[in-house]
Amino acid sequence: MTDDELACAAALLDLPGMTPVRLARLLDGFGPRLAWRAVRSGTHPGDRERRFRIGARRVDPGQVLARYRAAGVSVLLPDEVGYPAGLVGDPGAPAVLTAIGDPASTEARPAVAVVGTRSATRYGTSVAAELGRGLAASGVVVVSGLAIGIDAAAHAGALDAGAGAAPPVAVVGTGLDVVYPTANRALWEAVARRGSVLSEAALGTPARPRVFPARNRIIAALADIVVVVECHGRGGSLHTVEAAARRGIPVGAVPGSVRSPASRGTNGLLVDGCMPVRDVDDVLTAVSLTRGGRAIAPAGSRPSGGGGRSDGPVAGLGRVERAVWEVLDDTPTTVETVLLRTGLSLGAVGLAVGGLEERGLVVAGAGWWSRA
Amino acid sequence: MIASIPSAVLHGVDGRLVHVEVHVANGLPGFTIVGLPDTAVRESRDRVRAALASTGLPWPRRRTTVNLAPSGVRKGGAGLDLPIAIGVLVASGVLDPAAVAGLAFVGELGLDGSLRGVPGALVLVEALVGHRVVVADADGPGVSVSTTTCRTAPDLGEVVARCTGRRPWPAVRVAVPTGTPRPRQAHGGDLADVRGQLLARRALEVAAAGGHHLLLVGPPGAGKTLLATRLPGLLPDLDPQTRREATRIHSVAGVGGGDAEPVWRPPYRAPHHGLSAVAMLGGGASLRPGEVGLAHGGVLFLDELGEFPTAVLDALRQPLEEGVVRLSRSGGTTTCPARFLLVAAMNPCPCGEGGPPGACRCAPASRARYARRLSGPLLDRFDICVAVARPGVDDLVGCRPGEATSVVAARVEEARSLARGRGVVANAGLPAATLHRTAPLDEGAADLLVRRVRSGHLSGRGLHRVHRLARTLADLEGGVGPVGAQHVAEALVLRGSRGILLGESLR
Repeated sequence: MTDDELACAAALLDLPGMTPVRLARLLDGFGPRLAWRAVRSGTHPGDRERRFRIGARRVDPGQVLARYRAAGVSVLLPDEVGYPAGLVGDPGAPAVLTAIGDPASTEARPAVAVVGTRSATRYGTSVAAELGRGLAASGVVVVSGLAIGIDAAAHAGALDAGAGAAPPVAVVGTGLDVVYPTANRALWEAVARRGSVLSEAALGTPARPRVFPARNRIIAALADIVVVVECHGRGGSLHTVEAAARRGIPVGAVPGSVRSPASRGTNGLLVDGCMPVRDVDDVLTAVSLTRGGRAIAPAGSRPSGGGGRSDGPVAGLGRVERAVWEVLDDTPTTVETVLLRTGLSLGAVGLAVGGLEERGLVVAGAGWWSRA
Repeated sequence: MIASIPSAVLHGVDGRLVHVEVHVANGLPGFTIVGLPDTAVRESRDRVRAALASTGLPWPRRRTTVNLAPSGVRKGGAGLDLPIAIGVLVASGVLDPAAVAGLAFVGELGLDGSLRGVPGALVLVEALVGHRVVVADADGPGVSVSTTTCRTAPDLGEVVARCTGRRPWPAVRVAVPTGTPRPRQAHGGDLADVRGQLLARRALEVAAAGGHHLLLVGPPGAGKTLLATRLPGLLPDLDPQTRREATRIHSVAGVGGGDAEPVWRPPYRAPHHGLSAVAMLGGGASLRPGEVGLAHGGVLFLDELGEFPTAVLDALRQPLEEGVVRLSRSGGTTTCPARFLLVAAMNPCPCGEGGPPGACRCAPASRARYARRLSGPLLDRFDICVAVARPGVDDLVGCRPGEATSVVAARVEEARSLARGRGVVANAGLPAATLHRTAPLDEGAADLLVRRVRSGHLSGRGLHRVHRLARTLADLEGGVGPVGAQHVAEALVLRGSRGILLGESLR
């Protein structure tokens, strides 16, 4: 396909008011060049209202493409090299996709989507990071959405797996020049460097609530299996689950405490018959892989909820520190609860937690503590 | 003929001496009041005329001029009715000037000649030193708090009769025998009513003992308001100086009931978050005291702190720092004492369910917006910031009641007396420069603090606040010896939860 076709596709994508649905309608049955001409002349049957005619007349497609390329963004069309194979033939495949990074990373198989809530607990983010790290180290592409919480932790884990690991793939809802959330800028850049960041939005598209559910369908379509680490009773992660279910892609969920609101959604998925995911091996088995000769996740990634809890870290703790350690777990425990369960004074508990925190065993939050 | 009658008007929370000069001379009958009177003073002409007529006293059929000296300051309130009436009587020759020599008058007149009380009578009388002040019967008990040299009367006729010596001045009814200890009436109920809430109870005790400002953060229904109403009961009775100041402020504002008792117990003010900056600080043309003044010596409770206008909250910083509020308005400048214990409650986030991560469904941006409503400097004033969780079912049903107010108040009193030994009302007022002397740290405590500062958990200012807080905690245990590591550790936990508002739990 020529640059001219790409330029016309980019110009269509870049028109003000363009949405993925409208773009798909305009390009359906037309090549980009034909579609562009028809839109420009106001004769496109998919644009009877001539919504885009005025905008199109002001634009030179060549310049639009040059602008995208100058920003380091490549424009991908279906049936074109670089367009993710996982999306080809998908009913909701984006008509035009933009990408930063190495498009080849989206072709790598197998791919696992690790998704979840933005307001994650320490437990959730640590499991997500562990899964990301272990999967990437085992050669599995980790797909996620670069949101804060579970998404960010999964990506960070995948990047942490070191050289030779599978590249991470992110699908975002905003334009590729709009980093959202801004707190994840460094992570975003690292993912773009090592793998790729995809979006079906034009450059400059800001974060809007409706773009994220649409983005989630791409995440689901790209993956061989979707793993939900933590999610609430309703929310974006369940959109991904629905999209996966429609495509017949298996969904796994990480079990959580029945008292944790952040695990309500995932526990619900388990009740509905989704595959339980305890660790990387569960996922690898599901994608018919075993951990072969590849590098396994570095030390320290053992599931912290395992049985080896009483040895190791607690060696050398004082009596009070041990008592406090015993009542803490991976979910946040309020100061109040620790006082009640240990029966110790606030001063003693504070001192013990301070010591545990300095050893890196306990994380102190705002009014709560949990095991690190 | 000319008469000059001393009286007083309110200026902020102070009284200001005013001479009511009345001149009655030949000319067209008329009545003018000059000397910057407000509407209430100007209308007093009609009240005075009616009162004189009802009492059977003559109204001069000549040209009458009333001047309020000093004429450059605005005068407000109806308290000038009585001095104007007396001035008119003296100037028109009905009353002998010698009969009112040494007397000053403050009171509002009814059309039937009856004498009514005025707000701030106590303050007005105090401004009239050297005079025997005649006030309404209703103001007698309130005024007697400060002086017993005043005179009272039920109506204008009695005032005239008693001035001329036809009838004697009765003894002033005294409101409260001075020096009588008042029963400790808990403001909003007893602390024993609070089930569970170990951390919050502890925070209340420490706040009361050390005068540390307190922020309670928790979801709706956690009992934040319930806890805050228990705080005044933990505080000791007001010391004489504060009692005097608080009584004056309450008298001026006209709050605190009609029996005009002195303010013995720490006041409790809980303004709604819709209030304006003027209502909070005081002001208006007459420079009325605001909520911070009314809370002087007691507790100012701001429920739903996040809903208060930012301007109102930031205006609190100056009184919190200096213990007084300075007001400058067109009517002049005034200073009102405002030393109070600030207690605030708020939800951790817009949905209210925040706290430990995972429970809250708010978008990070809306949480950040919510947190931004509070300025950093204001948040920094809260020495104690604790998360209050909803009590569990076991707490509400099974749990045995906690300590009663009287038990905790005894410990608070003990700690406060230790603070007085250091020359401050409470430990929160300890100067940073002398902390090493007033609150020496033992080795473990110093080590813990240094490690906290090094690891970036604590700023320099936070260091001093934790240090004072630790002093209070040690005082609650008797206060002998240096401050220990467990005190510092507890202080760190109590100071701790402000991060809940800054979205820290999401990181």
